[in-house]
Amino acid sequence: MGIDPADKKLPQPEDLDPMTDEVLHRAFAGESQAAEKYLVFAEQAEDEGFPIIGRLFRAISFAETRHARNHLRVMRGIDSTAGNLLAAFEGESFEIDEMYPAYRQIARSQKNHQAVRSTSYAMKAEVDHKSMYADARERALAGKDIDDLPVSVCLICGHTVIGDVPDKCPVCAASREQYRTFS
Amino acid sequence: MPKPFMNTPPKPEKLGAMTAGFLQEAFAGESQASQKYLAFSARAAYEGLPNVARLFEAVAYAESTHARNHLSVLGGIGDSSENLKEAFGGETFEIDQMYPAYDAVAELQGAKEARTSIRYAKSAEQDHQALYEATRTTVQTGEDMAAGPISVCPICGHTVIGDAPDECPVCGTAGQFFRTF
Repeated sequence: MGIDPADKKLPQPEDLDPMTDEVLHRAFAGESQAAEKYLVFAEQAEDEGFPIIGRLFRAISFAETRHARNHLRVMRGIDSTAGNLLAAFEGESFEIDEMYPAYRQIARSQKNHQAVRSTSYAMKAEVDHKSMYADARERALAGKDIDDLPVSVCLICGHTVIGDVPDKCPVCAASREQYRTFS
Repeated sequence: MPKPFMNTPPKPEKLGAMTAGFLQEAFAGESQASQKYLAFSARAAYEGLPNVARLFEAVAYAESTHARNHLSVLGGIGDSSENLKEAFGGETFEIDQMYPAYDAVAELQGAKEARTSIRYAKSAEQDHQALYEATRTTVQTGEDMAAGPISVCPICGHTVIGDAPDECPVCGTAGQFFRTF
């Protein structure tokens, strides 16, 4: 959906005092989590044979996505694509180098096997994402788009691959039918 | 390394308090990454970089699978009746507590655009609260809600059952731009 960033109805970026910046960050975190929860709740409703409730959750998830974007815009969290790719690269690097190793270590020490799986799946996919963002940033800085290839994501573990889908997910062994392809 | 990695999402388990706390933070982090990437995808499309837009969209979806996995392990996914109750509770908190408090801070500090962003969100959460309340009553009788489209304003998130209005009553966006599910 091509909304012009200059659309006057959109909240615009502004200089914020630290407390307003803080509460807007929290609001962004809250809306983001609500949007993700509602997507999961939509799948659950569809599994239970309630497709219209699934639709309601999907629609409201999209609404929360609008709020998350608005808050992010106001606090100047959306830059040019080259800048966004750098922010994305740095976020992935933090998760790979700091966040997930620490979280996984805690889960291991508490013998929480499923939590170890969940953090391991995420950490492995973030490694894919980091290198994709690094490559894309070089292109964007040169004023170029990346190659026109499909991007596929394992719906179990989030493994992400550009180009052909593997027969089996190398991380969680899901079959190729369990990939979602963006083309 | 846990093995074998089974091709099913991680399941709920009894968690140590520290693990639960950090998994909640990981859920928050993945959720925010996913939303950022969706916004970045829209920006790349606007700049005429459709392939970068696709990459951001796909990676946003990957982060969604991680968020779902963490939420599953945390025991945060119930049946639809429980999920509707949880969703209703979340909206109620945002309407009664969170957004009024945040708006007070933004008003005190004269942050005009922040107040607009907060007003849009709070207004839509009131739509959502009512929709979840009505739906929970229906699902408790074992029935799906009535079939029909649901329309959402792409600017402010205003949510209506049925077709889009001519103009968004909250932010004035023309109905033709609404996204209909």
